[in-house]
Amino acid sequence: MENQGFNQPKNGQDTARAVLELRGLEAVYETDDGIVRAVNGINFSIAERETIGLVGETGAGKTTTALSILRLLPERTGRIPSGQILYKGQDLLKKSEDEMRLIRGACISMIFQDPMTALNPILTVGDQILESLEVHNAENRTHGELESRVDELLSLVGISPGRKKEYPHQFSGGMKQRIVIAIALACEPLLLIADEPTTALDVTIQAQVLVLMDELRDKLGTSMIMITHDLGVVANTCDKVAIMYAGEIVEYGSVHDIFENGTHHPYTTGLFQAIPNMKEDVRRLHPIEGLMPDPSDLPSGCKFHPRCPKRFDECNDGRPYLYERGGHRIFCNLFREGFDS
Amino acid sequence: MPDHAAFLTPAAGAGLKLKKKSRAKEVWRRFKKNRTAMAGLFIFALIMLVVIFADMIVSHNTAISQKIRDRFISPGTQGHIFGTDNFGRDIMARIVHGSRNSLLVGLGAVACGIMIGGLLGAAAGFYGGITDSAIIRTMDTVMCIPLMLLVLSIVAALGASLVNVLIAMMIANVPHYTRIVRAAVLSVVGQDYIEAAKACGTPNSWIIIKHVIPNAIGPIIVQATTAVGIMIINAAGISFLGMGIQPPTPEWGAMLNEAKNYMINYPYTVIFPGLSIGLTALSLNLMGDGLRDALDPKLKD
Amino acid sequence: MSGILKTVDLKKYFKVGRNRFLHAVDGVNIEIAEGATLGVVGESGCGKSTLGRLVLGLLSATSGETYYDGVNIYSCGREEMASCRRNMQIIFQDPYSSLNPRMSVYELISEPLVMNRACENRKERLARVVELMETVGLAQRFINSYPHEMDGGRRQRIGVARALALKPQFIVCDEPVSALDVSIQAQILNLLMDMQEEMKLTYMFITHDLSVVKHISNEIVVMYLGQCVERAESKELFKNPKHPYTQALLSAIPQPIPGRFQRDKLLRGEVSDPIDPEPGCRFAKRCRHSMPKCSTGPIKLKEGGNKHFVACLLYD
Repeated sequence: MENQGFNQPKNGQDTARAVLELRGLEAVYETDDGIVRAVNGINFSIAERETIGLVGETGAGKTTTALSILRLLPERTGRIPSGQILYKGQDLLKKSEDEMRLIRGACISMIFQDPMTALNPILTVGDQILESLEVHNAENRTHGELESRVDELLSLVGISPGRKKEYPHQFSGGMKQRIVIAIALACEPLLLIADEPTTALDVTIQAQVLVLMDELRDKLGTSMIMITHDLGVVANTCDKVAIMYAGEIVEYGSVHDIFENGTHHPYTTGLFQAIPNMKEDVRRLHPIEGLMPDPSDLPSGCKFHPRCPKRFDECNDGRPYLYERGGHRIFCNLFREGFDS
Repeated sequence: MPDHAAFLTPAAGAGLKLKKKSRAKEVWRRFKKNRTAMAGLFIFALIMLVVIFADMIVSHNTAISQKIRDRFISPGTQGHIFGTDNFGRDIMARIVHGSRNSLLVGLGAVACGIMIGGLLGAAAGFYGGITDSAIIRTMDTVMCIPLMLLVLSIVAALGASLVNVLIAMMIANVPHYTRIVRAAVLSVVGQDYIEAAKACGTPNSWIIIKHVIPNAIGPIIVQATTAVGIMIINAAGISFLGMGIQPPTPEWGAMLNEAKNYMINYPYTVIFPGLSIGLTALSLNLMGDGLRDALDPKLKD
Repeated sequence: MSGILKTVDLKKYFKVGRNRFLHAVDGVNIEIAEGATLGVVGESGCGKSTLGRLVLGLLSATSGETYYDGVNIYSCGREEMASCRRNMQIIFQDPYSSLNPRMSVYELISEPLVMNRACENRKERLARVVELMETVGLAQRFINSYPHEMDGGRRQRIGVARALALKPQFIVCDEPVSALDVSIQAQILNLLMDMQEEMKLTYMFITHDLSVVKHISNEIVVMYLGQCVERAESKELFKNPKHPYTQALLSAIPQPIPGRFQRDKLLRGEVSDPIDPEPGCRFAKRCRHSMPKCSTGPIKLKEGGNKHFVACLLYD
């Protein structure tokens, strides 16, 4: 009954070859202070070889979405009250923990934000890549075969295989992130979730890593979810973009819809105005007034309406209107037909 | 300054109340909410009442007068609530009067140890460099000597008495606390707010008092409260070797030691002094945990 | 135009082992005019934060001098140093670790006032704290709150209020917005610019993000491994970046325009540590234009007209 058709992707060719499809996913954290509604009914699907960017600020529910897909929400507090996560048509929420363990790493893998803490400091990088291979060694490959696969993976991410006997601290930040990518790709997953993979890196290194990820995606045919707060990174890596705010997708479309088309959700417009523009010469910036709402006490109606410069009474309650033009979806009452602004 | 005074118009200052003075109240309010901590406080308060009113509860003479005839009277019979020991002394009286000595040794050794160790550790952690090396190497050297051996040699040099045992145990404790405090301080010193304080001209002494110690105190409180019980037992060991509190002065640890030969046949002779030590340690531990949480504004409510 | 802050051949070496030194800041000359903003840009490990702490006297220099208002801050007396301290403040990058978690907003903002005896009595101090909170846009109801109860943007406002408490003239902003969300980032940047206009502040704005510094700076210094490789007025630098490193930095910023990175402009290799660096240009190993003579001797900043200085042999 939830989300009567809202957010729903068009059934048909769009979902036919979908690697992953989220339907009405909700995720909450049950804390002592009350229920924190981190993700509130989102829908999107990823086709093969496609990269989708999840963009939003802190608290938008990007990371919670990623953790829900892998069923890695904190056991004591995290819960998924409703929704479906379809991986090649199978609902991951109905899988047992053992089945999930086989899916993680082999079918869907994840890259975390901080490469400094994602690697075990007392194991050599070669051993760490080997470990993920051994866990998912269904074909019973020999140790020698696995070792050569480690070499192959290291050269794939641009590290000389001769360095596999070295420890993480002997590598720089960018190199560590390359190793993390190698581990994530070890079992050739169909889907890679990258949670702010370059935020901790310097700009020049970020560019290198993003180019590497792009190349690997083309070579291996992996689909990817790119989670980031940086609109520039999205423009340079993604095919589709979902703008998230307070646990909902407020706008969804291709990169061209989001970055070139003139019709946008007021939040998207605000985000673009807030980033310092390299081309134009304006002194003052245009921040979005106000703050992200408290996820344990979300506003009614459109979640963005308290901060929205174009709000009107209708926004206070009920779901916002869904505007849709050729795959470009915006959830905003501004586009309601017959409404003149 | 007039412009500031103008700012304090009723409109600007109205409804503005500073909670500055109520810091202690605030901590107490949060402490009160913690039921286990309050239980600890209750037990400890009872023990302190016993310490203060020992002479009113039972006369000191009862605690030390020996009647071989009345050996090993079972608890609850012939007017001996906790029974009597191998010399026919009333165990309850000995526990009541022993509380003073035991708590003095336990609390005293830990408190003085923390005070001295804390200062040394804070200085080592905060200043670093040569100060750090000098303090820590000296402390490590002292730590190499087994605790008992160190205490015994100090007591042997100073002479056997309660105060000297206290001093010896305090000295033996200092290195331990120096280490703990230094580690806690090091984790705080790296934070930006220490540098922020320096940038606005705050003197080092104030930084240590206001910024370093409040943020480093959590693990120290917990360590200290568990240490009190251990100190009482250690003091007993020294008494057993004849270097500490001299019989017939009552003391919990010494009572345990004397009673251990009769433990199988007359278990109550060890149970009651053991229970006293255990309750003291437990109450302090519960209070310590509660205090640590109450002092941390992040865990508020 | 005389600079309010000036460094002369400032050097800071950290000892990292037996006779091995990390050249964190190696011969930097900067000058900031009163009321202006100098942007210091570079990647991690380029010494920009060390430079910020050196000019404030929070770190002592290995060699070289820093003059604040004509006073050499490394050799002046306690009295003069105290007055310099009062005039120079710092805003930190991480609003989470730069505020003592056990102090309330009032205590945090009033600390500099108490320490410098800037107010005569408590009433006056309270008035000043309220005034400061108003200035930085913090609602009065937060006066008894603790930092952990507030979000990043509000915390950074506390940081700004603390820095402004003593009415300083010069503030070092060490990556003040890089830990914040984009929309909040813009709020804080606007606040800093408003403060500057209102109080005639001078800023040294340290950041890794060229796009942030473009808006706020009059002049920009680009640093690489402890050295200043390019210095120019903001507009000039963005219009005409000369040093190959500056060019690479600019092209590496992902633009919000659909498309892929231009691979040919990517930098090779990574930043290394400036431990006992070899003579010559420190960027030579990653530079596409590197020539044998790049690694022969020290390369000086040279003016190529238009107050645009660059340390590169390509422009000799």
